[in-house]
Amino acid sequence: MTGSNKLTKKDYLKTTLRSYYLQNGFNYSNYQGLGYALVMYPALRKIHVNDTDFAAALKDNTEFYNTNPQLLPFITSLHMVMAEEGTPEAEIRGIKMALMGPLAGIGDSLSQFAIAPLFSTIFASLAMEGVTIAPVLFLLVINIVLFSIRYTMGHYGHKVGTSIIDKLSEKMEVISNAANIIGVTVIAGLAATFVKMNVKIAFAAGEIQEGVNQSTVNIQALLDKVAPALLPMLYTGLMYYLIKKKGWNTYKLVLLTVVLGIGLSFLGILG
Amino acid sequence: MDITLIQALLIGLWTAACYSGMLWGIYTNRAIFLAFGVGVILGDIPTALQVGAIAELAFMGFGVGAGGTVPPNPIGPGIIGTLMAITNPSITPESALALSMPFAVAIQFLQTAIYTVRAGAPESANRALDNQNFKGFKFHANLTLVLFAVVGFFLGFLGAFSMDFLTQLVGYIPQQLLTGLNVAGGMLPAIGFAMILSVMVKKELIPFVILGYVLAAYLKLPVIGIALVASIFAVQQYNAANNPATAGANTEVGNDDWI
Repeated sequence: MTGSNKLTKKDYLKTTLRSYYLQNGFNYSNYQGLGYALVMYPALRKIHVNDTDFAAALKDNTEFYNTNPQLLPFITSLHMVMAEEGTPEAEIRGIKMALMGPLAGIGDSLSQFAIAPLFSTIFASLAMEGVTIAPVLFLLVINIVLFSIRYTMGHYGHKVGTSIIDKLSEKMEVISNAANIIGVTVIAGLAATFVKMNVKIAFAAGEIQEGVNQSTVNIQALLDKVAPALLPMLYTGLMYYLIKKKGWNTYKLVLLTVVLGIGLSFLGILG
Repeated sequence: MDITLIQALLIGLWTAACYSGMLWGIYTNRAIFLAFGVGVILGDIPTALQVGAIAELAFMGFGVGAGGTVPPNPIGPGIIGTLMAITNPSITPESALALSMPFAVAIQFLQTAIYTVRAGAPESANRALDNQNFKGFKFHANLTLVLFAVVGFFLGFLGAFSMDFLTQLVGYIPQQLLTGLNVAGGMLPAIGFAMILSVMVKKELIPFVILGYVLAAYLKLPVIGIALVASIFAVQQYNAANNPATAGANTEVGNDDWI
């Protein structure tokens, strides 16, 4: 490997921005493999002057890859630093592959379980209250946050190198534990608010007497007094049980819910 | 209301852009955003926001899990469901969600099909590289994105274009079944919440499930209020984990980052 061309700060920024292309070629044989090579394309072009070397370098980087796109710039920046220093191809590959799993785990828990649900719920509630611009704000805010993460990751990969990874995953566990507390609380609250189940049954209280105004007992009103949103919570609990303990997939859950919804409404129990 | 050809084309383009944006990880393929575009194009933003917001919450938990797994697609409620609710006033946002579930699942299969069809891509790309055909490599490395745009366009366009027919079909559904679908639509978000809880909940976190329930059901706090109360516990836990055993003993300014 000949580091004949020096990579500038601009090259690092460009590769960070190209991390958005990671899944442009997603497929079920090498997942993000093609995308990885595509993201690294200009950087590798600069490092490898002659076409044969360049083609070989691209080919080396099309093997299976699957990580979190938001954290990818950390890996590509590191890759560029090592390539520039003339680190042997096998060693770069080793580090690239070693980072794939941990960063996927950290990144997914950050973006899928913390950032996305948080903004999704905030802006969906705003939309429900009739704030017209909520969907646009959702897109704007979440992308500003995610871009900052990509940018910081690219920057750190360039500056600090591999040493940060251990520290990061250690810190990450603490951060993700804290984020999980907020997440679990909010989602339990959401289940109580947005899952709707109303018992329609109302029956006569006491014996029916001719000519006397009958007072009725409305079961839903009774339930609401004891424990509001009890049925939604129990149903969410049932779904949780089926996923966690019985390994049910989405189709089965959706099918069960639709059948139950129609059935219970048909019997006049829910409405 | 009727959908003009221009509107159908616009909805096609909107769906194409949002769906391919999913590969870029820019969160355009979310029910709330998809629905918003349909609302703007058809001139009924309030209905679109109602469907979009309900579906956004219901679909929040879908798509969590290992990378590369394909969840039911928000285009179902976000595009098809919103179209139904806007063109047919007798369809509530809840029944729009339930009625569009089959589309969400069908699109999920379609997406798996795209990834599977593209399984030959690495071989083609590598062959192009063997011949130093860099243009060919770029073509193969971008083709999934192009396919997403094409499929997205047809989903949006055909969905809008056939809405007359779909509305007619919905007209044949007996009222009792529609009521049932409305009930089911109210229950569907439970699946999404349970999905996301199933990856987050550990035994230590069960008290926070109860906390969330109490804050929402009894105290009727809005979402942001619940998040703020929870963040008190989160910050406390974070601090405790960062300086274990030093609580009280260490008076030195250890972590000034928080102030």
